Amino acid sequence: MTGGSAIPEEGVARRDVIIDTISRLIFPFILLFGFYVTIGTEGTGGGFQGGTILAAGFILYITVFGAKRGREKIPESVNTFFESFGLYLYNGSGLLCIIFSMGAVQFLNYPGIWPVTDLVGVAGSRAWIIAFMVEVGIGLTVMAAFISQYFDLAWKDEEEMVVRKE
Amino acid sequence: MKSLSSFGIVIVIILIGLSAYVIEDLPAFGDANSPANKYIRLFSMQSGAMEDQLEGGVIPIEIKNKIYDFGFNEENLYPTLEEGGYEIEWNEKNGGWDVLIEEGEIYFNEPIKYYCIKILGEELAVYRYNWPVRIIEWTEEETATPNAVTSGLADYRGFDTMGEETVILIGAIAVTMLLRRRGRL
Repeated sequence: MTGGSAIPEEGVARRDVIIDTISRLIFPFILLFGFYVTIGTEGTGGGFQGGTILAAGFILYITVFGAKRGREKIPESVNTFFESFGLYLYNGSGLLCIIFSMGAVQFLNYPGIWPVTDLVGVAGSRAWIIAFMVEVGIGLTVMAAFISQYFDLAWKDEEEMVVRKE
Repeated sequence: MKSLSSFGIVIVIILIGLSAYVIEDLPAFGDANSPANKYIRLFSMQSGAMEDQLEGGVIPIEIKNKIYDFGFNEENLYPTLEEGGYEIEWNEKNGGWDVLIEEGEIYFNEPIKYYCIKILGEELAVYRYNWPVRIIEWTEEETATPNAVTSGLADYRGFDTMGEETVILIGAIAVTMLLRRRGRL
């Protein structure tokens, strides 16, 4: 195993087998832990913290395997989509609460005739919205924001190197 | 330039004094009975024969008028203290009576603690319960969430968190646009 499909370039350090293997092994577990922190109403943490952990996983991948392979893992279109989709998920669920209850609620309180209200009750549906809409939406937005900024900084370095060589 | 810097020093001193004045009034953190966490004292008056009336489940007219004068009235869309619109319960823990009012919410139509009337020697002190009391006491029943911080962040104060997330999105977009200017700065 020679450390993935690294293209040897000038001025780029050789890949280390240990770092490659361990980061590839630990990457899915970081994502799993991030989702564990993000989803749910009982534990500590929440969207902001969980999104940061998810972003940390991707940043580890980008740092180890380079910006090119990182872009293959999470393309810019997907990243941009997540960035706005998180906010859309949050605002959309709140707006649906207002629409379904004919304006009786204040944003998320008392989710009206929300589809799951019949199954789990008013209080239960509020917990569902907190756990799977609000927190996930915040997490996605925070994750995408961190990753896009890290990518921008990483790309800039590479381009500056190219310019200097010329 | 010298006048500008001296003006800045004066502003800094004023700000330090203001923050010291504010910090002095802050309650001790974690005290469940501190005003910010529990209730605010509105006023106190001579008790007289009011205690018997309160025992009978009726708020004396003097207390009612004074509460209205404070602004908790119909004009400001606060629930009124009409006959039969409230309940009075003796609260052993506080050493006073709790006034419970139904706000008429559609999906959670139960009486909520509004005022607390305590006996302090010869006087009756009237307190107004704070919003955190509802979050602390009712969060498990209203939102099926055992963690009051989560329900407070995402449900009761949902609009606040929505704004925070919008700030994050706009900040990310702005930083991305700045970083991609590539030599045009």
